[in-house]
Amino acid sequence: MKTNNKTYHMSILALFIAIVIVQNFVPLFGYIPVGPLSITTIHITVIVAALVLGWKDGAFVGGVWGLITFIRAFVSPTSPIAPIVFTNPIVSIVPRILIGIVTAVVFYFIYKWWKNKTLAMVIASVLGSLVNTVLVLGLIYLLYHGQAANFYKVDMGQLLPYIMGLVVTNGVPEMILAGVVAPLIAAPLQKLVRKN
Amino acid sequence: MNKLILGRYIAGDSLIHRLDPRAKLVLSFYFVGIIFMANNWQSFSMLLIFTLGCILASKISLSFFLKGVRPLIWLIIFTVALQMLFSSGGQMYWHWGIFKISEFGVTNGLYIFCRFILIIFMSTLLTLSTAPLQLADAIESLLKPLKAIKFPVYEIALMLSIALRFVPTLMDETAKIMNAQRARGVNFGQGSLIKQMQSIIPLLIPLFVSSFNRAEDLAIAMESRGYQGGEGRTKYRVLKWQTTDTMAFVLFAVVTVALVYLKN
Repeated sequence: MKTNNKTYHMSILALFIAIVIVQNFVPLFGYIPVGPLSITTIHITVIVAALVLGWKDGAFVGGVWGLITFIRAFVSPTSPIAPIVFTNPIVSIVPRILIGIVTAVVFYFIYKWWKNKTLAMVIASVLGSLVNTVLVLGLIYLLYHGQAANFYKVDMGQLLPYIMGLVVTNGVPEMILAGVVAPLIAAPLQKLVRKN
Repeated sequence: MNKLILGRYIAGDSLIHRLDPRAKLVLSFYFVGIIFMANNWQSFSMLLIFTLGCILASKISLSFFLKGVRPLIWLIIFTVALQMLFSSGGQMYWHWGIFKISEFGVTNGLYIFCRFILIIFMSTLLTLSTAPLQLADAIESLLKPLKAIKFPVYEIALMLSIALRFVPTLMDETAKIMNAQRARGVNFGQGSLIKQMQSIIPLLIPLFVSSFNRAEDLAIAMESRGYQGGEGRTKYRVLKWQTTDTMAFVLFAVVTVALVYLKN
C-alpha cells in the first residue's frame, strides 16, 4: 500500500528515537563494558540514520542522543567523566548532531565521485565517528583548559590529561566499530526504505 | 527490564501525582538549577528537607528512591573521591605525590555528594509520579510558542509519543533477539573486545529491519485512521492548569528566596 511519505518518515524517525532510548537503558546493548571503559554503540544508530535517511534526520537522531546524554549527565551518568564534561550542552549535544551531518555529507560526495557504495559508507561512518571523538576532545580542551569553572567545580587542571586519555581510548574502538557495523546495517536498509 | 528510568511510573493519587505535568517538568529543571546555588551546610540541609517533604507528599515509599541511587553509588563515590584527592585549599590533612586531602577538598566532596543525591531524588520523583505520555504532552505544550518560528512542534511531540510507546516493545524485541542469538551460541558481555563487537552485529541488524517494518505498518495504520498532520487535531488527554500548580510555583519561589538568604 502507498502511504503518505510524511507519515512514513515520521514513524521511521520515531522508531530511531525509540532505538536510541532503548540503547541508552538496556545494559550490554548501548554500551559495551570493557574493563573500566564503556564503549558506546549508539553512534551506530545515528550513522545508520544519516546513511539511510539523509543528513537532516541523521542530525536529528544525533541531537536526540545528545539531549539524552545531557540529561543523563545530571540524573544518571554513564561514566565518571560524564557529570564533569557532559553537563555542558555544547560538549554533549553539538558533536552528536555533527555525526549525522558529517556522515551523510561525506557519503554523498564520495559516492558521487567513486561510485562505490561500500567504500563510501565505510569512510563516511569512520569519519562520522571520528568527528564525535575529535569534537568532544577539542571542546573539553577548549572549554576547560584555562581552569574555567565547571559544573561540579572539580579541579580540571590535573584531571585534563586523564579525561583526554579516556576519550581517546574510547574513540578508537568506537571508530572501528562504526566503520565495520554501520555499513553492514545501512546497506540492506537502504534497499528497504523507499526513495522520496 | 523494569529497572530503567522511563516507564518506572507508579500510579497514585497524591498531591504530586495530580500536579500538572508541565508544572512538574519545569519545576524539576528549575530545582536542578538552584541546587548549584547552595554552598554551605545550612542551604544543603534546607534543600534536603524540602526534597524529603516532596517525597512524603507523593506517598511513594522512600525505598524506590534509594533504589534509584544504588546503581550510581560507585560512580558518585568515585567522583567525590576524585574531588577530595585533586582539589586543594584550606588546611592540608594528608599529602602524597599529586594526591592530597585538604579541608577544602573534603567539604567540596560532601557538597558534591549532596548535589548528586538531591538531583537523583528530584528527577526520580518526576519520573515516578508522571507517566511518560504525560511528559510528552507537557513537552508539546511547553514547546508551543516555538511554532512562531516554524518549529514543527506537533510532529516532534507525536514522534516523542510514538517513540515512548515503542520503547517497551523494542525492549521486548531486543530481549527476544538476544535470546535467539544466545541459542545460536553468541556470548553477550563476554570475551575480548573484538568478540563483543562482533556480537553486536547480529543484534542490531534484526532490530533495525524489524523497526523499519514496524514503521511502515504504523504509517499505514495512521493514514487509514485519517491522520493528516497536527493542525486541528483534538486531544484525548487535555492538560488543565489548576490552583495547586500555581501554589507549587509559589512554594519554589519561597525556597529560592530562603536559599539566597542561607547561602554564603
